Order: sequence, then structure tokens, then C-alpha cells
Amino acid sequence: MTDIIAIAVILLVVGAALGYIIWAKKKGRRCIGCPDSKGCSGNCSSCQGNCKTK
Amino acid sequence: MRIALAGNPNSGKTTMYNVLTGRNEKVGNWAGVTVDKIESPLRKKYSVGSEGVIIVDLPGAYSMSPFTSEESITSDYVRNARPDVIVNIVDSTNLSRSLFFTTQLLEIGIPVVVALNKTDITDKRHNKINTKLLSERLGCPVVSTSADDGKGVDKLARVALNSAGGTQAAPFVGKKATDRASAEKADRERFAFVNKIVSAVETRETKASDLGIQDKIDDILTNKWLGIPIFAVVMFLVFQISQSWLGAWIAEGIVFENGFELYGLVTLIDMLGAWVAGLMEGANPLLTSLIVDGIIGGVGAVVGFLPLVMVMYFLIALLEDLGYMARVAVVLDPVFKRVGLSGRSVIPFVIGTGCAVPGVMACRTIRDERERRATAMLAPFMPCGAKLPVISLFAGAFFGESRWVGVSMYFVGILVILLGAFVVNSVTGYKARKSYFIMELPEYKAPSVSKALISMCQRGWSYIVKAGTVILVCNFAVHLMQSYGWNLRPVENAGDSILATAAFPFAYLFAPVVGVVAWQFAAATITGFIAKENVVGTLAVCFVGLENLINLDELAMLEGTGAEIAGVMAISRVAALAFLVLNLFTPPCFAAIGAMNAEIKSKKWLFGGIALQLGMGYSLGFMVYFFGTLFTGAGFGAAWMPILGWTVVLVFTLTILLLSLKSKRQAAEKADAKATATV
Repeated sequence: MTDIIAIAVILLVVGAALGYIIWAKKKGRRCIGCPDSKGCSGNCSSCQGNCKTK
Repeated sequence: MRIALAGNPNSGKTTMYNVLTGRNEKVGNWAGVTVDKIESPLRKKYSVGSEGVIIVDLPGAYSMSPFTSEESITSDYVRNARPDVIVNIVDSTNLSRSLFFTTQLLEIGIPVVVALNKTDITDKRHNKINTKLLSERLGCPVVSTSADDGKGVDKLARVALNSAGGTQAAPFVGKKATDRASAEKADRERFAFVNKIVSAVETRETKASDLGIQDKIDDILTNKWLGIPIFAVVMFLVFQISQSWLGAWIAEGIVFENGFELYGLVTLIDMLGAWVAGLMEGANPLLTSLIVDGIIGGVGAVVGFLPLVMVMYFLIALLEDLGYMARVAVVLDPVFKRVGLSGRSVIPFVIGTGCAVPGVMACRTIRDERERRATAMLAPFMPCGAKLPVISLFAGAFFGESRWVGVSMYFVGILVILLGAFVVNSVTGYKARKSYFIMELPEYKAPSVSKALISMCQRGWSYIVKAGTVILVCNFAVHLMQSYGWNLRPVENAGDSILATAAFPFAYLFAPVVGVVAWQFAAATITGFIAKENVVGTLAVCFVGLENLINLDELAMLEGTGAEIAGVMAISRVAALAFLVLNLFTPPCFAAIGAMNAEIKSKKWLFGGIALQLGMGYSLGFMVYFFGTLFTGAGFGAAWMPILGWTVVLVFTLTILLLSLKSKRQAAEKADAKATATV
């Protein structure tokens, strides 16, 4: 029983961490957790094409 | 409805944006903190019944004719996205310069509301600005504000919302410039118009030419001889307070004289690990190890260092808000100018001490393309927050917790940047020319503790998020790979594991740096490219026996186990220092490389930058080991190790020399072709 709970906890924690990473990458966050990376996600769609200028 | 905040750099746009939206975007007492457009809904308390109002914060710009990429973001947005209202944040302490941009905004035809910001400072100086007359002369509403204390913000929001949908007449229309001379003439005419307005509306008690206390402080802090020593002392104190005093007390706890112990964060994480291990007593040992060492140990590895990093961020934020960091740029300008950079490059390097990603992103404030690219590829050489656990572990285990190791790594970082800049110049054929560094020095002001706390908490939270996601997944994967063989069965000997066999080929490559063929060091270095904190976590997981000597939660050796850790790792102090140098000066992580790609905008420069970082880190690490071993009289291990090491160093050096010669030849050919064309 303890083993089943342990496996469930591992799956839950690692799954949640992976889920967050995928979500953040889809949002365009370049560095997970970085408070400064949300300003510009690094892909030009977030800048409405302005990143390409100059 | 979209309301855009536009204005000169360091006029308080992001502070105003934070007040209007309730966000906590990074602010700083220097020009060029915001380098990209950000937006968020207007707070309900300011929206006065209006729905769907979006506030857009734009990077600072001096003119609608952009010089830098972040200025072009502002001019492009205002011209092409056509917001409903432009709130022009004007620095009331520097009216003349600010209104130049205002008159250009008024020409676009979008309703403009001028927010006369920083009025708290003008009031303190007893300077008066006639807002009514200014409004009449500009032909748009003018509202006095102080974003720092929220004064006038509600009125500003109300006026801006009422102005939406209207039209805007321009009090001055500049002539269209066809060449440089006509552009300069048009600018002079605009300045004359602005100065006429300023002389009519402003009454100054203190003339700009009068020397005040701020100028006297600047004379000392930016002094040619005193500036750098003062900077060194300031940075030493920052690291001493964060790494040895306050940060260390919070991390390790305090035992009072009466025996009462205030637990530190590390002890609490330890207790959590022990409690979970107790709960799992009857479970499969592999599962227990995965949860206790892999998950709790992995997350705790970074969280244990949190107090040290947070205290450092707090102190840096105070220095930024005080206005000191802008002076550092002036102090270091003559040094960086010698290698083709400038004081403007200092800002990315300072930001890079926190995290390389925003450090690289801050390069976009640099106008010169070559200088911007060079700075972006050199900024990751500054040891970032993620490298602190690596420094602390090796300093603690091999050098008796000597603080000189940590502090010196930052100064070595500056030297490596200078050396790297020299290499970049040689390869690109850049010749130093006389140039001027003009930077607006912000006012000194009492640093805001609340702002510093917010900045610290944001960064602290980001640290926790990173620990709970990337670090957790990496440590879990390393743990699994170290526990299983290729037949997917648990292994008795870690040397037979997937991780060991996969990392073993790389162990030969790193052997000249550490003096031994050990897959553990190779695995740690490779996982470090995902996130640098992984270096310590992987070492602790991979070295059999080390888990009993290193506290996985705090990623530091247990008291008095330094020699044992050195014994388990089986490397000398010189090798430990070399391994540290290798990890500090090779690329910090993939995220930083991604940021370099975005800022450099050239594959040739990007791959050149990565090669430079790899070559520099490896060469420095090897040379530390080689010469350190030579001076200490220790053996080199196998003879092939120094041969391999020198081969890599020679290939790296020869590549640089060949590229330098190529660029010199190309420059000579260009000069010849130009001379022939002139004849």
C-alpha cells in the first residue's frame, strides 16, 4: 500500500512539474520561473512583430 | 480601449504602469530598465465604469526617430497599433528634454495626456511648473503626478479615459527631413520651440548648472581613481552580507546563548526529508530514495540556498534604487572602452549577476550593433544566481568556506569579459576608436525598502518555481538514470547505470580539467547546461557516499566533512577550483543561449558566442588545473591528460588567431579596394 501511495505521489509531483514546464513553454516563457522573462517571451508573436524591427 | 504609456527613459513609466494595473514589473533608477512592451488591464478603482481598458507600458524613447531596438518598439507601436490614448510620462525635473518627445507624439494625431511626473522632487527643489499654461501651449491635458506615492494617478486615469476617441492638434509640426543636415535643422527648431515653452511655464529656484550635494557625491563615487575601489568594496559587502552574515543565518539558523535554537530553512527542509523517510519506512527503498533524495532533496537543493540569493537580490535592488548602479556604468566605462565595449555594457553585466537571461535581454539598449552582440555573448560570463550553489559547495568543501573564492569569481568574471571582448575584437577586426559614452545619471534617492522587498520576493519566487519544476524533473531523471541500467533493472553498482555509461565518453574530455576520468563530473557538467544548480545536485546523487557528507537540502557539506568530500570526489583542491572555473565560464544554460539567439540575431555571431564560452571555460579550467598542479608539485595523472588539454587550448587559440588574420586580411582588402575606387 505504501508503495502505491509513493508511486502516486511521484507521478503527481513529477507530472505537475512537467505540466507546468509545458504550459510555461506554450506561453512563450523562455526561462521557467524567471520574473523578467514574461516581459518578452522571445518569440516575435508576443511583440506583434516589433521584435523584428531594426 | 488601449492606453499607451510613452516617455523618455527613467521618467517613471513602469512605476506608473504598476500603480495603474496593480502589477509589479521591474523598475529601476536608471534608464533602459524596460526593453519590451508589456500590457495589463487597468485596475477597477481607476477605470470609472469603463470596461476592457488595457494599459500598455512601452520602452523609454528620446525621439520618434529610433536609435535602438527598444526605441523602435515604442515608435512602431504608437504609429502602427494606434492606441486610443497616449499618456506621455514627462520627467518634470527635466522638462526641456522630455517635451521634445511630447511634441513629436502630439503630431501623430492620437489624443495625448501629459503626466507631469516626479513632482515630489520638483516640489522639494522648490521649482514651479505652471501646468495650466503648459496645457494651453501644448494643446493637451496636463496632470501633475508622482507615481512613486500614487499622487494624481486617479485624476490622470480619469482624464485619459475622457480623452479617448478625440482628436489631437499639434502645436508644432516639424519639417520633413530628407538628409542629415535637414534633420538636425528640424531638431534644432523643435528644441527652440520646446525651450520657449519651458521658459514660459517653469520657474526654477535651483539652476541646473548649480553644483549640489548630488554632484559632490558623484565626484567621489565616479572618481577616476576611487570609483573602482569603492565599487569593489560595495560588491564585497553585498556578498559578505548575503553569503556569510544575514543570508547564512537565515539558511542555517541561529543558536542563542541560552541554548534556544532558531531553525534555519535548511534544517526545516532536513526535518521534512527525515519525516517523509520515516513515513515510508516499509516502502521499496528505491521509491523512498526517489522521493526523499530525488524530489525533496532536489527541490531542497535550490530552496536551501534561497536565503543567500534573496538577501543578495535585496541589496542589489537597494543599490539600483539608490542610483548607484548607474554610476558603476560610468566608473567602468573607461575600462570597457579599452576593449571596444562601453559603460552601457555594464548594465547587462550587473543584471546578469541575478540571471543571465534578463542580462542578455538588457543588451538591446545598446545602439551599436557590434557592441550589442559582443555584450550579449559576454554577459553570461558573470556568475549568475544559479551558479551560487556551485561556488558555495566547492568553496565550502575544498577551501574551508573561504569567502575569497566566491568574491574572486565575480572579479575573475569581469576579467574574463575583458579578455572575451579582446578576442571578439580580434576576430571581428574591430579597431578601437575614440567614442563618447553619454548616460543620464538618475537622481540619488533614498532607496525604497518595499520596492526592494517586492523585487526580492519576485526573484525568490522564481527561484522556488524553478526548483519545483526544472530542477525537480532533472534530479528525478538523474536519479532514475543513476539507479537503472540499460536493461531497465536496478543496478547494484552506479558505474553500470544508464547515466554512468552515457556520461563516460565525456569523462575523457573533462579529465584534463579534474585530473581523473570520472563520469560523475561529466554528468554534472552536462546536466548543468539545463540549469546550473544541477551541477551540485548531480554530484551529490552520483558520487557513492557523498550523499552522507553533503546535505542534499542545503547542497553544502556537513560540518567537518570537507576533507571527506574531497576524499570521496578524489580530486585535489586545484582540480576542484578548475572544475568550478569550467562550470562558471561555460554557457550558463539553454535558456541563456535562447536569449542570446534573440538578441544577437545572427547565427554566425551566436555560434561564435557559444564556441567562445565553451572554449574559454574549458581553456581556463584546464589552465587552472595545469599551472596549479605544476606549482603545488602534485602529479598530473595520466600523461595523455595534459596533452589532450593543451590540444584543446591550442585548437581554440589557433582558431581565434586564424579568424583574426582572416578579418585583418579582409579589412586590408577593403581598404585597398576603397583606395583604388578613390583614385
